[in-house]
Amino acid sequence: MKSLQQLLTECETLAFDLNFTRAKKWKAEDKSRILVGYLPIYIPREIIHAANGMAVGIMGAGDRKQIIKGDAYYQSYICHFPRGIIEMALDTNLEEFDGFLFPAICDCVRNLSGMFKLSKKGKFQRYFDYPQNFDPFIGGTFYTQEMEKVIDDMFKINGVKVTAEGINKAIKLYNINRQLIEKIYNIRDERPWQLSAVDMYHILRAGLTITVEEHNEILEQVLHHIKEERGEPMDNIRVVISGSFCEQPPIGLIKSIEMAGCYIVEDDFMLGSRWIQGDIKDNTSNPLEALGNAYIHQSTFSSAYYDVGNPKGKRLVDLARKRKADGVIFCAASFCDPALLDRPEMQKECDHAGLPHINFQFHENTGQFKVIKEQAGTFSDSIKLWA
Amino acid sequence: MENSFYTMGIDVGSNFIKLVLVDYSDDPKIIDKQTEKIRKRNPTNVADEMIQNMLTKHDLKYDDIAYLASTGEGDLVKRKRGHFYGMTTHAKGANFFFHDAVTVVDMGALYVRAVKISTDARVEDYKMTGQCASGSGQFVENISRYLGLSIEEVGEVSLQANEAEISSGICAVLAETDVINMVSRGITTPNIIKGIHLSIANRIIKLLSSLKAESPIVITGGMSLNVGMIQAIEEQLAETGKKYIIKTHPDAIYAGALGAALWGGYRHIRLKEKQAVLA
Repeated sequence: MKSLQQLLTECETLAFDLNFTRAKKWKAEDKSRILVGYLPIYIPREIIHAANGMAVGIMGAGDRKQIIKGDAYYQSYICHFPRGIIEMALDTNLEEFDGFLFPAICDCVRNLSGMFKLSKKGKFQRYFDYPQNFDPFIGGTFYTQEMEKVIDDMFKINGVKVTAEGINKAIKLYNINRQLIEKIYNIRDERPWQLSAVDMYHILRAGLTITVEEHNEILEQVLHHIKEERGEPMDNIRVVISGSFCEQPPIGLIKSIEMAGCYIVEDDFMLGSRWIQGDIKDNTSNPLEALGNAYIHQSTFSSAYYDVGNPKGKRLVDLARKRKADGVIFCAASFCDPALLDRPEMQKECDHAGLPHINFQFHENTGQFKVIKEQAGTFSDSIKLWA
Repeated sequence: MENSFYTMGIDVGSNFIKLVLVDYSDDPKIIDKQTEKIRKRNPTNVADEMIQNMLTKHDLKYDDIAYLASTGEGDLVKRKRGHFYGMTTHAKGANFFFHDAVTVVDMGALYVRAVKISTDARVEDYKMTGQCASGSGQFVENISRYLGLSIEEVGEVSLQANEAEISSGICAVLAETDVINMVSRGITTPNIIKGIHLSIANRIIKLLSSLKAESPIVITGGMSLNVGMIQAIEEQLAETGKKYIIKTHPDAIYAGALGAALWGGYRHIRLKEKQAVLA
């Protein structure tokens, strides 16, 4: 078994390998294997696994790639995220990827799918839409059809026929993956000092670049290392981070929040890995229906999710209460329409619940955190000393 | 309230680390204090060594300290129990020295921060200098070094000025160029230093006026020991036509560390109360 430090170092390397070396190596080992890149937030990775593929999360170039061509594709009032992605596509980072899925998050990502299509990146490029009608017979059927289109796309590439048995097997693996992640989050909820939010981030992001089987092994080992109580708690406040579900904050920003005296006990950084709450049925004759039902009934919330009847502001407050959070930090990417449009409603809900909150914005390549550290530091002090 | 207990506050600055040991009670007392220049050493090791030496000196162990609190670059301090932000700790430190303080000017190595506080040391508003270093202690230290003075001497030398020569108040690079020109023009060292102080003071006045600051104003941080700087601030404030009372304290350099130790004591009690409720 590897030491915790070895695991964390490995995860950090995997998380920020913008060439996806490990995934490409995995593909090279078998001609029928395919790589399907997907953007935040969520896609049903199970169907790709069942088609002998690997779903690779493309979470942006962050502060690790200079944007030259990307800026020519987007206006100045558009977030940084798609610039980095198109830069990666126009460079060699995404070569050997067979297809790309663009989940319905916002107009920028939709346009990005068009740019990939025009630039002929990958063998298929699909804008992946989600049901907004939560009646299983309507929304569920629509979602099944969306998944079938992707299955067809993959079949045209490697000829692998996706079976119910194959999807059920994948569902089992991803159920384990979600359970393990949840266990680690629960341990961090009890003893957040045992694993930093930055380490947790690396662990989850690494999981988007390797097979689920490998990631499960890593998670098992991490869990083994942190299950025993150790270390001393600090007198920090507990916060929930909300709004970073798409463009990812730079690691320096997460560190700054932690250094300012905050334990991040809940976040939406790598939300896709935790999108489905609880297990998905893994023994049905119609696993696509099971995946659809899981999306309809077991989805978490985010600003990119249609939430009629189950408002996300209330869900955010419930989540903060569950994690015994002292406050909420609204931390969204600049120009992120979904997050910034939802923010006032969510803040209002926090106000009603008496939950203190602050907000700031970032770019994935932000390099200066002085102001953010200052805001988070004074927020922490105000809760510790005067709340 | 528990009769009394020990707390420690450590303020990790850019140049100096300040450490204060406090006997915390309803009437807290400073037991000991220490300042150490970091020089080119690892700040974490320096901080650790300082804490260890202080404990040994007073025949104490880590566990005897109810709350070890950091401020400044607190992530460099091992085994701390909590961290408080610089503004919060300087406010508390200033309030400890002068209970009537309503404005605090923290003059550190890299920036100057003006903070409006309530009489119970709560931060109400603040303004800070920007990124440029021309309003900071580090800049004064650099200039004094160019002029062959130690940082301890600059204050007294500044008081000897009779015709101050003002330098650029916007950019440290331009100000340093100004100083080179002044030296070649034969301007005396006291006049150059006084000019530097006036230029920094001018920026502080701007901060204070944008903050709508009120008296008394307490100067804290490393620059509070610089008498020339204090005089320059007083002169500049006098020019505004308003009456301001400027206060400094011989221990003002410890305001951050002291504030951390005091807030640490406050938190220790609150955490114990919380534990008691949960039990």
